[in-house]
Amino acid sequence: MTISKWELTRLRLRFGGRSKFVILAIVLLAIITSYLVYHQGMVPGKTLYTVGISFDAPAIVDQRFQVIRLDPEQGHVMLNQRTLDAYVDENGVTARDDGRSQYVKETLLEYLAKQDLLRIAKQYQRERAFPLRVEVVSLDRPEPGLSIGGEPPQEDTQAPLSPEPPASGESAPAVSVGLSEPALSAPDVIDAKVRQQLDTLENGGLAKLKEVVLSEPDIIIPSLTPPPMPLAQVMLVFSYVVPILFVAVFFASSFTEERVSRKLVILLSAPVSHLQVILGKMLPYLVYSWIVITVMTLIMGGNILLSLAIFTPVALLIFSAYMVVALMYRTFRDLTLFSVLVISVIMAYLVVPALLTGVSNLSYISPLTLAVEMYRGEAIAAKEYFLATVPLYLIFLQAMFIGTRVLNEEYLMGFKPLHVKIAEAIDLVVDRNHLNLSTFLSNFFLLPVVFIAQLTSIVFASNMPIPSSLWFLVIISATIEELAKSAVVFVLLKNGIVKTKIEVLRLSALSALGFFSGEKMLLLLALAVVSKSAFISAVFGGGLWVMPLVLHAVSTSVVSLITQHLGTKYYPLAITIGSIVHAAYNLYFVGVLG
Amino acid sequence: MSEFFVLLKKELRSITREKTIMLAIMVQFLIASLSSVILEGVMAFYDPGSIGWSTNVIIRAGFVGQTDSPMLTYLRDEKISTRSFPELATAEAAFRSGQIDTILIVPESQSGLVNMKLILPKMEAKRTVILVMLDKPLRRYEDYLREANGVMVNYKDFDSKPFSTYEFLYTVLIPILMLFPALIAGSIVIDAISEEFESKTLDTLISAPISAGQVFGAKISAAIITAFIQIVMWAGLLEWNGVSIDRLTLVLPLAASYAVTISLGAAIIALFFKDRQRAQFTYSMTLIAVGAASYFLDPSPLELLIKLSSGAPNISILGFALYMILPIAVGLAFFYLSGRRILTCS
Repeated sequence: MTISKWELTRLRLRFGGRSKFVILAIVLLAIITSYLVYHQGMVPGKTLYTVGISFDAPAIVDQRFQVIRLDPEQGHVMLNQRTLDAYVDENGVTARDDGRSQYVKETLLEYLAKQDLLRIAKQYQRERAFPLRVEVVSLDRPEPGLSIGGEPPQEDTQAPLSPEPPASGESAPAVSVGLSEPALSAPDVIDAKVRQQLDTLENGGLAKLKEVVLSEPDIIIPSLTPPPMPLAQVMLVFSYVVPILFVAVFFASSFTEERVSRKLVILLSAPVSHLQVILGKMLPYLVYSWIVITVMTLIMGGNILLSLAIFTPVALLIFSAYMVVALMYRTFRDLTLFSVLVISVIMAYLVVPALLTGVSNLSYISPLTLAVEMYRGEAIAAKEYFLATVPLYLIFLQAMFIGTRVLNEEYLMGFKPLHVKIAEAIDLVVDRNHLNLSTFLSNFFLLPVVFIAQLTSIVFASNMPIPSSLWFLVIISATIEELAKSAVVFVLLKNGIVKTKIEVLRLSALSALGFFSGEKMLLLLALAVVSKSAFISAVFGGGLWVMPLVLHAVSTSVVSLITQHLGTKYYPLAITIGSIVHAAYNLYFVGVLG
Repeated sequence: MSEFFVLLKKELRSITREKTIMLAIMVQFLIASLSSVILEGVMAFYDPGSIGWSTNVIIRAGFVGQTDSPMLTYLRDEKISTRSFPELATAEAAFRSGQIDTILIVPESQSGLVNMKLILPKMEAKRTVILVMLDKPLRRYEDYLREANGVMVNYKDFDSKPFSTYEFLYTVLIPILMLFPALIAGSIVIDAISEEFESKTLDTLISAPISAGQVFGAKISAAIITAFIQIVMWAGLLEWNGVSIDRLTLVLPLAASYAVTISLGAAIIALFFKDRQRAQFTYSMTLIAVGAASYFLDPSPLELLIKLSSGAPNISILGFALYMILPIAVGLAFFYLSGRRILTCS
């Protein structure tokens, strides 16, 4: 608590005095200008396209287009001279054959189609102009394919098309009666929806962004209702993460500055534990994050307690990552670049799975999916919450543990290459009196980090064409896993703590077991969310348990034994060979399945 | 002057030795890849076919209505497997036993109006996919009904795509790759300068026969050179990947000019605050404020970069000239402010 208070005072002093006004003015300016841009509707490609229109054509009002009125003859000449991107007259849109012009044509058509809808809305009665109204009704049904051992569900094989509703269905008959009625909503309610959606089309959707993005339509008017936008939903809830990142930057800076000014070393000599130092420094920033989360939830109209439950582990993940970076860096420059790298990796971890919201249940790995569900007013099951947050809590615990172990003067003040710093950290983390347990646990806890690294490699792989990207993924995933599993044994070998082949083999097996246990725990958690049948078949399907464990043990032993035999200098070679073994197994396994 | 080049060489060597530049490139590559992954995500949702292809999701729809309804044809055109049911009760039984994923109840038109009902599984991931895949058939059916009502629309069967690869390339990807090196350079300048103050090494440096201006000048120049190398490299890589930057000979100097402006601005901030925490925070906020305010300029720096790289016909030559002179103005401000002993502020 004293450390937390001290941290607060430090912040107040730092941001007090003359500089306070300068910073405040700049922050205010940033808020005002951003608001103005948001209010105007930001268009990245303002006046990007130059379009000619005939004198009798209606005006084009869209920030992307710079519009010139021209007669058709002049318009076509300028189009061919490439001083125009497209020309519009009563015959439609004329474009050149090149990509840019064709793209402009498509964009113009889209704009004109929207204007056309507004025209018919004014010209005709609403029932004639928008004659199709689709009312969405949601029905519960039992989870499909609930069977043991992965056998095909019986309903499918028999395929009975029973004419009567299921006799013992809990809610079936009542709904069926309800559905047969002509319409669930009164006509004037539906008509109000049409009017509301027309307004949104005409005036732009910015004011009703949250409404459009976070709620699913109950009445669809096909030409007016936008299709669901899972990505926009994800991005909206991602806005929570941005201010947390700012808070985390302050937390990291506080660490580094005290490290440079040696105040941290003085603090370590105080009669408090290392964990208390870290938590004490972190607490004020965590409280700031809670305030940010609460304010944002109030603005966006969500459930405050649920938001805190969802975003606290996210904040802890970000703080953990920043703290580890702040402990490992050597120069400020390193710190900046590593921090940006960490932000990008965290963003990949949060956003990429959430892109699958509404497509695959695997999206539940990202806590952002939970936030989207919360805003949609859907209930969040406990298992979904655990899948999304347990990995984050694990990383936090691991970071705290690493932090308490490496927090000493010699480590903090050493200026060494990064890989040496990492090796030193591993050496400090491993308890030499309990080598076996340390090796097992460090691999167990490392899994979420490995998982994040693999997810990031998917982002990198997306730049490649399909067959090579798959090869890249198989090889890189194997390499990441081999590096993670053999790191502890490598450091022990390097420091001469283990020497005999038996010891190396035993620790390799324990590394593999720790990693495998972590992997299976995450998998089971994921499968419990995805479907019960897959979960049950994974638990009882024996073959899939033994082989991966054997593989992990074999590949880790290969890496460790080569390193022991040839010397630690040849570790990269050992990793390469181990990864080849691992990748070959993965490819064989995929081939067998295929 | 030779001292300056010695310092510059030292800074550049430290950037290459510490693999800073590799890290910077990796960061930008990850960010650019991430944005393209996100774009693919967006595109997938506007191209239902690609969802079906990439996720192997098969939508099985139950249809309750007249068997000659054009809606059935529109559904089949989108590769949605359909099954007609004579009445709702049987369709509902099939839905509950998991044989179909959705039910469309299409009553006959009543004085030109159709009130359709769509039954979706509650709390299932497939729900969104169904809605997306039904979008086009529903629009086509709406157009069909409009025509029957005597309402003619000129643009129908139109796939709504709010953002396409073309616009993404020129308004997101190329600006990211051309501007990010500049942003990172600014950050590096702040780190390099504030580190000298915080670790109190500046006094030692200045006690050598070199001025503070030379020390900072070398640091700023090293960051700018690093940024320019990255800009040229990205342009080369884009070209190699078939993405051509239209007026490359103008885009490169413009991006370099932005890098110089931002680095000098960052140096002013770092000299003013002298500690990393406040300087980096103020730098980020200034970037947001200036970036947002510049949106109202005609042309804005971003707009000019986008137009030049996409080969837009209407380029403001005056705007280009002004942005090329901008670094000189900021440079003068830097020398003036550092000469006015603004360095003593804390």
